[in-house]
Amino acid sequence: MNDGLEIVRGFLQKRLGVEPSRVTPEAKLPDLDIDSMILLELFFEFEERLGFTLSRDIPTPKTIGDLLETVKRLRTAKAAG
Amino acid sequence: MARRRVAITGVGLVSPYGGSTEDFFARLLRGESCVRHYATDDKPRALSLPAVRCADFDAEAVLGKALAGGADRYAQLGLAAAFEAWRHAGLTVGGEQEHPDYGVAWGTALGGTLAYERGYRDLWQNGRERISPLSVVLGMNNAAASHMSIRLGLANSCLTYTVACASAAAAIGEACRRIRDGEATVMLTGGSDAPLCYGVVRAWEALRILASGDGDNAACACRPFDAGRTGLVLGEGAAALVLEDWQHAVARKAPILAELAGYGASSDHANLVRPEVRGQIRAIEQALADAGLRPDQVDYINAHGTATPEGDPTEIEALRRVFGEHAAGLPVSASKSMHGHMMGASGAVEAVVTVMALQQDALPPTAHLDVVDPACAGVRHIVGPALRGTGARVALSNSFAFGGSNAVLAIRTDRNDTIA
Repeated sequence: MNDGLEIVRGFLQKRLGVEPSRVTPEAKLPDLDIDSMILLELFFEFEERLGFTLSRDIPTPKTIGDLLETVKRLRTAKAAG
Repeated sequence: MARRRVAITGVGLVSPYGGSTEDFFARLLRGESCVRHYATDDKPRALSLPAVRCADFDAEAVLGKALAGGADRYAQLGLAAAFEAWRHAGLTVGGEQEHPDYGVAWGTALGGTLAYERGYRDLWQNGRERISPLSVVLGMNNAAASHMSIRLGLANSCLTYTVACASAAAAIGEACRRIRDGEATVMLTGGSDAPLCYGVVRAWEALRILASGDGDNAACACRPFDAGRTGLVLGEGAAALVLEDWQHAVARKAPILAELAGYGASSDHANLVRPEVRGQIRAIEQALADAGLRPDQVDYINAHGTATPEGDPTEIEALRRVFGEHAAGLPVSASKSMHGHMMGASGAVEAVVTVMALQQDALPPTAHLDVVDPACAGVRHIVGPALRGTGARVALSNSFAFGGSNAVLAIRTDRNDTIA
């Protein structure tokens, strides 16, 4: 989870100039200027950094915490499978 | 009912010299070239050619991280030019306003070609299995116009014209028509291109029409109309104009820089690369007729003038045939001799140059024109310093593209109008 949060923070700082301290599990995606395209870029960033492919039918997260939970669940499922 | 007149109320560009639009024009008047030697470390064979780059352009500084990161270089350059023109016209960048009567018509020959090339490199050269999810939206040809529409609230129309080297001129002309037809009151228009990527340069090299010139010779590599010309110089760039219904501009007390008085468009319908004089004549004559001008009322021609062996004499022949006896004294120059050929952006850059030439009553020269090719004789080539104080009020800007698409803009200043 913490690794994932650091990935999100690093990406948003580089891509949008978002201050890392604003990127918390409770933060809502629109409040960080994360639209659907930025979300796709974030998924891609996870795939690149963590070395696995996310399925196409991921539910749209509302918060950073939702996003991290989804990635964690898919990653665990992948490792188990 | 009288036809609507179209005012030019703002201009902007990204200067390869690194300064302002005013500085760009001042350097052209001095005959200063921004062509430089361009070299890369690409494999298997590095690029090495004279070219024009906007080397000092810092997209993040101008546009912010979010916008710059979501746009390919051609769109970044275009957005910078567009925002400058918009502000120049006294309009606001940003905010939540929606303008149902304002639109955008943009020109680009290549679109986001750098994004596509990055993707191909990743897939085939770097052995990756997937590429950035931004690839489509960075690469698409209408990305620049779409970003402008979103950022400026341009709800009327969002159009992109891809007509090779006439892309911007066609976009400007078609934007003018939307205003005349009463479809829009304000149109943001112009063009941008960023052709300096490996595959595009190699493609142009294969056509054997790029100018030669290395190192110190690069600056004078582009020599339109000269007997020793060797071809065109590729360049990246962007320029924008704000076109506006004349009465709308007057009502909001906008600075009226000039009038876009006429537009002519034609097709050679002859050959993909060899220009055809009759097609060019039709476009020039249409622009004159559209503006209600006689040939002898034209004071200056900003030529297409790419410095190719076939293109230059064809254009001059077209001018001789349209302007007849008036041609011999008609000032003509090709500013590409200094800023290179910016592909789909060139028509917009040269339209801005033409507006500024009329405004300042100073016509830029054709640089590096030492010996006029006899096939390019018969007009008054501006050589050496700029031609000042002629009282020029009417000018044409020519754009003649591969594929046989021709677009000519007639631009007029009128001392009796409200000219800022």
